[in-house]
Amino acid sequence: MKSKRQQSDLIIVGAGPAGLAAAAAAAENGLSVTIIDEFPEPGGRMLGQFHEERGHWWVGKRIADELIEKNRAQGVLIRCGVSVYGMLKVDDMWEVSTSHGTMLAPRVLLATGAAEIPMPANGWTLPGVMSIGAAQVMTNVHYVKPGKRGIIVGVNVLAMAIARELSVSGVSLASIVLPPSGPFAGKAALPKENLQLLMSLSHLAPSPILRFGGKIANALGLAGIVSSLFPRSGIKLWDIPLKLRTKVVSINGTDRVESVTLADVNGQGEIIAGSEREEAVDFVALAGGLYPLAELASIAGCPFIYTPELGGHLPLHSERMKTPVEGLYVAGNITGVESALVAMAQGQLAATSICSDAGIFGHNGESKVAAAIEEVHRVRASALIQFHPGIPEARRKIYRMWQETFGAGV
Amino acid sequence: MKPSSLIICRCEEVTIEQLEQAYQTGSCTSRQLKMKTRASMGACQGRVCRQLLEAWVHDKKPDSPRDAELLSYRPPIRPVTFGQLAKDES
Repeated sequence: MKSKRQQSDLIIVGAGPAGLAAAAAAAENGLSVTIIDEFPEPGGRMLGQFHEERGHWWVGKRIADELIEKNRAQGVLIRCGVSVYGMLKVDDMWEVSTSHGTMLAPRVLLATGAAEIPMPANGWTLPGVMSIGAAQVMTNVHYVKPGKRGIIVGVNVLAMAIARELSVSGVSLASIVLPPSGPFAGKAALPKENLQLLMSLSHLAPSPILRFGGKIANALGLAGIVSSLFPRSGIKLWDIPLKLRTKVVSINGTDRVESVTLADVNGQGEIIAGSEREEAVDFVALAGGLYPLAELASIAGCPFIYTPELGGHLPLHSERMKTPVEGLYVAGNITGVESALVAMAQGQLAATSICSDAGIFGHNGESKVAAAIEEVHRVRASALIQFHPGIPEARRKIYRMWQETFGAGV
Repeated sequence: MKPSSLIICRCEEVTIEQLEQAYQTGSCTSRQLKMKTRASMGACQGRVCRQLLEAWVHDKKPDSPRDAELLSYRPPIRPVTFGQLAKDES
């Protein structure tokens, strides 16, 4: 005999910025909402994020606390430490299988966020090697230093943002260096490509070299020349040496990380013979970037599209956050890797879309959805941290594809 | 350490050398490599190495399709005990 199973109007998987924002908005409009998250506390990756923005500190945990409070006040049920391992549509109801039993709802919003792409190097299975996100969670969420002195391998938006957080938190970092060449790093192992990335971030960089150098070199398309002039000793980014002409060769140690072997590279990313040396560190943070975590969309039967600008394979969805699967919606990094602020706006939009589909707004549904879409555009355009310069165009391509496939009015 | 002994699937301890051998003997897509070597079939169900496996195949054959169906997902997508599976039954 089946025991009584919990039913809501809406189940949201993921209690990060997108899920929490969506839950608060949906509950405000009268839906009964359950949020499920496998982490022991709600907030998602906002819990460990903070950065300096136009003279003040943006603290993710504070934003998360406000959203959680809003949700509690609206009667949203937040269930943490619960894993979803499957979902199945039976008649008009989603059966969501979790580690704590099955939950039912006619509509499900997937706000599962993103996962990290590893950056393998010789020795990366030694204790003391972790992903950059793990170093962030240890330091900023659990308040445990990942080690005495570490090194970051991989230069990308995520690595730079977390390097800054670690350094503010008092974690000692030897430097940020390039990953080993090969199929896994691809262009990420080349000095020129990394400099181009930094140029697109130059408005964030505290160093005048990067700020002015970035703008000028970018305008003139000089990344190739500048990268060969980039000082071998690196430049200081905040207080962390950023070394675009140094790469990691191997991570060394017997039972745990004891050192890394570094080498200088030329403009093509090839190792300059004889430049190898050891640097003593007790932890290594590998930064390979993020990809949308969309396993549940896949098993729910949603088709996927490959969009490198947004992090790879992602569930096909409309601009109003609907998937082609009836009653299945997406919001946040599962639709492409962007900042927490964009994720929150997307969560709002998904909730508006869901309430509109549930008939709550009557004739006003379309205008409310249009306003929420406008808000996502506004937030995206003003976001300080752009994970990829091609995001707006990549998004337009997805929505065009949706229009061509499913036509208007879906 | 030789680059070929680099582990790419940590759960199933699959090395690049094993991928290379499988590739040479006819496993050419990410799906075939997964079936042959068990890369991405371990406890994490490919959450860590799926991207690496795809990148490796793409590097071998740059014109190979980027198809999400090749490395499919199947429930349960998280490790689950028999007790949890039976929880709904009484």
